[in-house]
Amino acid sequence: MAERLRSSRTAALVAVLLLRRMALLVVLLVMTFLAVEILPADAARATLGFEASPAELAARRRQLGLDQPVAVRFLHWMRGLATGDLGVSARGRQVWDIVGQPFQNTLVLGALALVLTVLAALALGSLAVLRPGKLLDRGVRSLSTMILTLPEFVVANGLIVVFALGLHLLPSVTVTSSSGKPASPAMLVLPILALAMRQIGWNTRIVRSALAEQLPAPHVDSAIMDGLPRHRILIHYMLPGALPTIAAGVATSVGMVLGGVVAVETIFNFPGIGAVLVEAIRNRDAPLVAAVVALTGLVITVVLMASDLVRAWAVGRKP
Amino acid sequence: MKRVLRLLPALAVILLAVVGPLFAAHSSTEPVTAPYALPGPGTPLGGDQVGRDVLSRLLIGGRDLMIASALIAVIVTGLAAILGAVAALRPRLGAVIEQTADLLILLPVALGIMVIGVAWPGSGRIPVIVAAIVLGTPFAFRVAAAAAAPVAASGFVEVASARGERTLSLVIREILPNLRATLLTLLGLRFIEAVYVVATASFLEVGAQPPTADWALMIRENADGTLLNPWAVLAPSLAIAVLTVSVSLAFDVLTPQARNRMVTRL
Repeated sequence: MAERLRSSRTAALVAVLLLRRMALLVVLLVMTFLAVEILPADAARATLGFEASPAELAARRRQLGLDQPVAVRFLHWMRGLATGDLGVSARGRQVWDIVGQPFQNTLVLGALALVLTVLAALALGSLAVLRPGKLLDRGVRSLSTMILTLPEFVVANGLIVVFALGLHLLPSVTVTSSSGKPASPAMLVLPILALAMRQIGWNTRIVRSALAEQLPAPHVDSAIMDGLPRHRILIHYMLPGALPTIAAGVATSVGMVLGGVVAVETIFNFPGIGAVLVEAIRNRDAPLVAAVVALTGLVITVVLMASDLVRAWAVGRKP
Repeated sequence: MKRVLRLLPALAVILLAVVGPLFAAHSSTEPVTAPYALPGPGTPLGGDQVGRDVLSRLLIGGRDLMIASALIAVIVTGLAAILGAVAALRPRLGAVIEQTADLLILLPVALGIMVIGVAWPGSGRIPVIVAAIVLGTPFAFRVAAAAAAPVAASGFVEVASARGERTLSLVIREILPNLRATLLTLLGLRFIEAVYVVATASFLEVGAQPPTADWALMIRENADGTLLNPWAVLAPSLAIAVLTVSVSLAFDVLTPQARNRMVTRL
């Protein structure tokens, strides 16, 4: 009885947590819409050029719906978002047609960078925690601190000089095929590495300290006393307890990766959402900028919710 | 002595960036050699995309980055310290700022900088600095608030509060002095983060504008000529790397921490 009561209370708490994340996403959308709203030049002017006559400008404003009050336009936009309609860009194209394929490309790039980050961070963090205070541990810690301070565009240039210009191993420029995707998988390698490097540094530190916190726990103690093999202790006795912290770290990395893609995609000429954003801002294309921020915020919200669930699950498991 | 040695790289880089402009042999805006010329007499690092001296631009291009980053780091840490201490005394305010932090997580810094940087009338570094402060403070606040909470709950703060001291006086006289170590670490982290934000913004052409000499902008402008004169890109890349790495090492040394608390057990 008490058990069921506790689990239903946990479920209610999780629901509140998730609803709060959704509410925050809506607030972000309102703020983005308003920020883009106060852009100095408006979309009608940006798309017509400075020679346009006042009559042409007024017509274009009416066509884009810019003559309606902000609140009306925002509600209209939000209603569209809920049904997957991102609206029409300042140049009159469907926003989804412009954003769709690049968004998928960026998601592939970001997801692969994240997979690499998780694998590398788990491996390095575990190696370090198995030999606390030894050379390997100190080396991993210093190296991860150093890497995590480097901006992506600096890492990217280093990679290009070494692997593309020096060794001629990998392409430094992404060529887009007619389908809108990168023409070959090899073109993804350097962008993934450039994106992942900083996150590997950040997450290795988190994994190491989260695992180290588990060392004094009683069940780890008895496992050591029983003489279980190290890798067994690490995976079955320490990792489960460290998981919530690690999940929160990786969730934070998703936001940093989606921020990092703007610079990385610019360097490698990668056909992703960062490139769309740069172009949209140059054109003062409000609906496009808002769509990019909305999609990014949505992805981060989903990931944070997943990390909330992992934490709730881990807390629920505790005796 | 060993500690001083580990502080030296950071001090050297900062000093070089600040007094560097005095040693620039050439103008940072006028061409003195051929575009992407290889290193030669008078131009030890060669020329950039219009033939300006890379070494001179390197010596000049770090100062503004450094000043902007230091400004952001000091303001963000100061704001976070005061807000964190107030939040520890007045939990309701703390909850509001906590919500803001959860909100701003949804907006990656690079995206936020671009949106704010473009919405701002005019261009230059001011919008980048403002955006970095607005987007950075809530995260720094979390660290400061977490450190301030146990101090605010301690006996001497209660005594001072019972004595009738005002919130501001409690914050400044009782709480902040006890957060020194945390705030020093925070200052170092915020400086590195600020360098990241300001440099990335310049790289994305929000912030420093051509023909200003700026390390990040140099990397962007000379990317096409990496094969012709690698130094035009490598030198500013290395400069940024050396700056962030050396500063992070320096703050690592400065902050007293429980090192190797863990006993070898496995």
